[in-house]
Amino acid sequence: MVATFMPLILSPVVYFLGKRKGINITTWLTFGILAISTILVIIPSIGLGSGGNYQEIFDWSQLGHFGLKLDGLSIPFAITIYLLSTIIVIYSKPYMVRKILIQFDQVKNSLGNKSQFDDVENESYSATDGKSLSTLVLNADQKNYLNEQLALYYTLYLVFAMGMLGTVLATNLFEFYVFFELMLVPSFFLIAFFGYGNRKRTSIMFFFWAHVGAVVMLLGLMAMGFLSGGFDYDVVKANVSQIPPAWIAVIVASLIIGFGVKLAAFLVHVWLPDSYTDAPTPITVLISSVMTGIGAYGLIRLWIELLSGPGNYTDYSIYVNIWGLATMIYGGAMALMQKDIKRVLAYSSISSMGYLLFGIGSESVLGISGAIFMFVTHALGKGILFMMAGSIILQTGTRNMDKLGGLGGKMPYTAVFAMIGGLTIIGVPITSGFMSEWVLFNGALQNAVVDWSSLKAISFALAITATILTSAYILWMYKRIFYGVVPETLKNIRDSSMYILVTMGILASLTLVLGLYPDLFYKPIIGYVESLYDHSPSEIIPVKIKAGTGQEPVGQAGVSPDQGQSTSNVTNVSYFGSAQKTHLISGNQLVSFVTI
Amino acid sequence: MVGAIGFEGLGVNAWLIWMLPFIGAAFIPILRNKNEKLKSYVAVGFSLLSAFLALSILPVGLSNGEIHSQIPWFSALNLDAGVLADPLAIIMSNLVAWISAAIFVYSISYMHKEKSLIRYWFFMLFFIGSMQLIVLSDNLLMVFFGWEGVGLASYALIGFWYQDRKKDYVGKEGHTVWGIPMWTSPTHAGIKAFLQNRAGDIMMLSGMFLIFMYSGTFGFRELLTDQTWAHAMMQQNLLVPAAVLIFGGAIGKSAQFPLNEWLLEAMTGPTSVSALIHAATMVKAGVFLVARIGPLFFALSVFNMQQFFEIVAWVGAITAMLLATQALVNPEIKKVLAYSTGSQIGYMMMALGIAGLTTNFIDGYTAGFFHLISHALFKASLFMAAGAILHTVHSRFMTDMGGLRKNMKRTYIFMLLASLSLAGAPLITSGFWSKDAIFASILDSNYEFSSYLFFIAVTVAVMTAFYTFRMVGLVFFGKPSQNIVNMENKGHRIREVNQLMWLPFAVLAVASVVIGLVGFAFEGQLHHVFATYLSSTFGITENGVIPLSEVQDTTGTVEGEGQHEATSGGSEMNPVAVAASVTAFGVGGFLGYLFYIRRSVDPAKINENVVSKGLWRFLYNRWYLNSILYWMGVVIPLGFYRRVNKYFEHLLMYGINPSVQHSMVFMSKVAKMAQSGDVQIYLYVFSAGIIVITMLLLS
Repeated sequence: MVATFMPLILSPVVYFLGKRKGINITTWLTFGILAISTILVIIPSIGLGSGGNYQEIFDWSQLGHFGLKLDGLSIPFAITIYLLSTIIVIYSKPYMVRKILIQFDQVKNSLGNKSQFDDVENESYSATDGKSLSTLVLNADQKNYLNEQLALYYTLYLVFAMGMLGTVLATNLFEFYVFFELMLVPSFFLIAFFGYGNRKRTSIMFFFWAHVGAVVMLLGLMAMGFLSGGFDYDVVKANVSQIPPAWIAVIVASLIIGFGVKLAAFLVHVWLPDSYTDAPTPITVLISSVMTGIGAYGLIRLWIELLSGPGNYTDYSIYVNIWGLATMIYGGAMALMQKDIKRVLAYSSISSMGYLLFGIGSESVLGISGAIFMFVTHALGKGILFMMAGSIILQTGTRNMDKLGGLGGKMPYTAVFAMIGGLTIIGVPITSGFMSEWVLFNGALQNAVVDWSSLKAISFALAITATILTSAYILWMYKRIFYGVVPETLKNIRDSSMYILVTMGILASLTLVLGLYPDLFYKPIIGYVESLYDHSPSEIIPVKIKAGTGQEPVGQAGVSPDQGQSTSNVTNVSYFGSAQKTHLISGNQLVSFVTI
Repeated sequence: MVGAIGFEGLGVNAWLIWMLPFIGAAFIPILRNKNEKLKSYVAVGFSLLSAFLALSILPVGLSNGEIHSQIPWFSALNLDAGVLADPLAIIMSNLVAWISAAIFVYSISYMHKEKSLIRYWFFMLFFIGSMQLIVLSDNLLMVFFGWEGVGLASYALIGFWYQDRKKDYVGKEGHTVWGIPMWTSPTHAGIKAFLQNRAGDIMMLSGMFLIFMYSGTFGFRELLTDQTWAHAMMQQNLLVPAAVLIFGGAIGKSAQFPLNEWLLEAMTGPTSVSALIHAATMVKAGVFLVARIGPLFFALSVFNMQQFFEIVAWVGAITAMLLATQALVNPEIKKVLAYSTGSQIGYMMMALGIAGLTTNFIDGYTAGFFHLISHALFKASLFMAAGAILHTVHSRFMTDMGGLRKNMKRTYIFMLLASLSLAGAPLITSGFWSKDAIFASILDSNYEFSSYLFFIAVTVAVMTAFYTFRMVGLVFFGKPSQNIVNMENKGHRIREVNQLMWLPFAVLAVASVVIGLVGFAFEGQLHHVFATYLSSTFGITENGVIPLSEVQDTTGTVEGEGQHEATSGGSEMNPVAVAASVTAFGVGGFLGYLFYIRRSVDPAKINENVVSKGLWRFLYNRWYLNSILYWMGVVIPLGFYRRVNKYFEHLLMYGINPSVQHSMVFMSKVAKMAQSGDVQIYLYVFSAGIIVITMLLLS
């Protein structure tokens, strides 16, 4: 509770304090607020293990209860959101100071000019302006402007972070929607105030798309709430059978489309490249890494978990699966076509969101778990890459890759961290990318084989082939930035400041840690995804593989593991349509696996 | 015997063999401000330490022991991390460790005065660490970690000179085939290698998933002890596809047809890297994987795994043929060696494949692995010698060399020794014995198409001898080339490289000959080790497979008997194979000698004949495979994406926003038109409305 609302309550404080006291105080205050909140989120999560949840619930008018809940699904999302928000605060400082000062110059220079912000081509602004921050001497005007703007930035930032967290912790449909819109508003202002290029137009477009998506989703939420007699998740879950089948289709469609817009899936992705390119880079990091991914959270929570009746998920999952596949390939292909670093990464985000959709539509425990882990992975990997873009913009003043090259020698730390980020997105082992990718694809293939469906098999084959596309655009982008000959204009480039490098380094080490110990997140995730099907034992079980947890598999026709047996045995040899288990002894530890 | 020793004693050594290089890699960046010597010595120290650890477990391997230690790792899916040091892994691990140690020593001198030594040593250590991980891990998932690790390290090292200077390119500048340039920058080559490997890797992943799905484990031993998964997969006809998919990973990593093209461009890296890639790490990983899973699948032969082994054998045969022919005409010394590597790996695959097509698995298996060992020795030596030459003459083209035998005597002698081994000089070189073993195993097999395979193998042997002599002749014989004359005129003296550089390849070349001198005995010993290993672990004997349950029931008691049985059979010479092997060396060697060493026939004659000229061009253009690959894999897709980007994304998708905007503007204009302020029109509409309403009410 405190974790969620402290940023909101303290955001005005940040604004007024920042206006008076200057940029350092603002930064560290914001950092402090978010760091404490992050710890407050992490502490209850540690105790949860693979099951159970932590809840705070309050009465809330006739709409039901206002609650905040941490469980296997929201833990990875919540921790990622706040961790990233906290780290980006520090990253923001040098970046936004530079950005705001440049805006100040623009405002001053273009006074009286009617279209002062429209179509400003912001590419060549700081190559000459390459002094480091500490040596920058500001006059009083600049200082006031800077203090005020940065305070405003951090205020909006706090609200933005809090909106995202609230969305994933909500326990009520209405609450979910409120938070969902709450994260949209500050991000709209952040783009409009601090963006690049035609930023007002972009921000309106961003708002428009996101809002249309949200409204479509709201339709589904209202239908769910009214037809099941309550807006609380628990109520909806309990009464889901009361919703008429015809309405289910409408609800599912509206949820998929609504969240599809948020995920920027193929055909509704058009808001994303411009927004990402024009938003200030720290905000792009947040929007790209965590905000879009919340669409995936919504799909899992509201669709798969709440609408858990027979066929409610399985009937439509294949469409999501294929939609994800299309998004994956399309995003990757378009990323190859771009010259602008941030545009490459924007299309790459579309592609990564395709992975999430693909996993969500895969109908298997591992597929969905992989998709959830993919969110964390993508947040770290794409976060690093966008930070790399920011670092390069800051140092070179351009993000056009035709003008870059050979920076590997000039900016070694940025290059190293960017490589780790790139490998995370590609999914190369010891980065967490691999851990999410193999589990995700494994799940998809399992489903294809279990269903013996050639459509799903082809979909799997294309999806796993799309990872080559992913590697291609990442490596090619990397080559164009960091390899080759350094252009004449960039001879005197140095690496970014510690603010930027340290934050990138933290994310890079996190992805390595998660790659080596995926258990940190996979335990709660897999526990949660398995529990999704607990309450529908007699129904068709969409998830056919139960990864071994040592606990009783639920809703399976098989025989429960016999702890005493020491040799491998097969209890049921009909492999499809019913369960089969093998028990393996490895050392003195009983490993029980349930296949299919 | 098959004893699972825990995390104590030698178990720790097995862990450390692959961990130490990684620790070293993590440690190296700390030395970034230190001098060059320290960096190099620390790196070499780590590799030597790992090598000595590998040596410490060698006795375990030779006495058919096994170290298997596991720790819990990914408990959400019940996966353990573990090392499995069985005879196969231990021998391979020693080979990798010692050859890479030699290459490391060589690097000290070769990379002298290089700027980014930290990066170099980091990735070199990372490279051997990943390779040892592949060799020693006990499950497919960890193998895949190492697998991608070597892929990553090779990407980084192939593109080591990331500034893309012209002198680091490979290929002849201006040589295009079907519009595809055949010369490549280091970074381009790195990406090419990574992506082609990735294509193999996704196949391997899919195969792993299929097996994981039915068995719930990635562990090699677990897959062996409980074979119910194989039953299930066979019923679904998925067993062979899964095996072939895993082999797909090996195809990518070992540069077998059709994923062979990256290997040639991989020559852009420093020569020490090429030596490492070709002799100890990268390409051997594929062969090792087949050697790792081959017995497992052979032990499942009740499920009819024949097709899998057929595919392995034929892929090997095709690659051997394909790359040997291309090596005949290439002018770059490193590329000739690269082609030859691909071709020799083809031999190994052929041997491992043919092993599974007979009842006597052990012969082919030993032959393949023996060839792996001998190839590792002589190819590392050849590459390092070639590096020494490049270092001296500053050119990668053999036409820029010539007559070097006087100036670089030691390099000449040792390179000749290693070359003889590659060419398969009878009786004194390890290359001869291992090739002979492969021939023999092909002849002995009862596979119906074995005669075709044998024909290919012999033809390739002829070509191997020819291109080896061509290389030696072009580099060391004849007159000094224009390039060398120029260099000497400028005051560059062409002279022998320093000790630190020639010693490593001298040692390996001599080792290759020494093994050759005792070749027969060596093979016998290897045969014995593998026979015991295969029979005790997989139940594979001279006469096919015995059910594993019997083996394991009786392991403790019949151990001696099994060994006895293993030594009694196998490894007698096959006269046909020997004859073929000697003849191949004679014919190929003689032709090479005639053309390039005695120079009594001018090779330029080829151009006079239309057929031979066409053939030459066909081979020189790499059978057009590279161009086909680029057209299918790069040019056409990119063209398509460009169209999509232009017409779909930018016209249609980006059109959504303005069209919404314009339609809104239009609607507001329509609405505005109604508010014209013209009272008469307002009254008119008003009265019309009243009329309509009245009519509606009346009706």
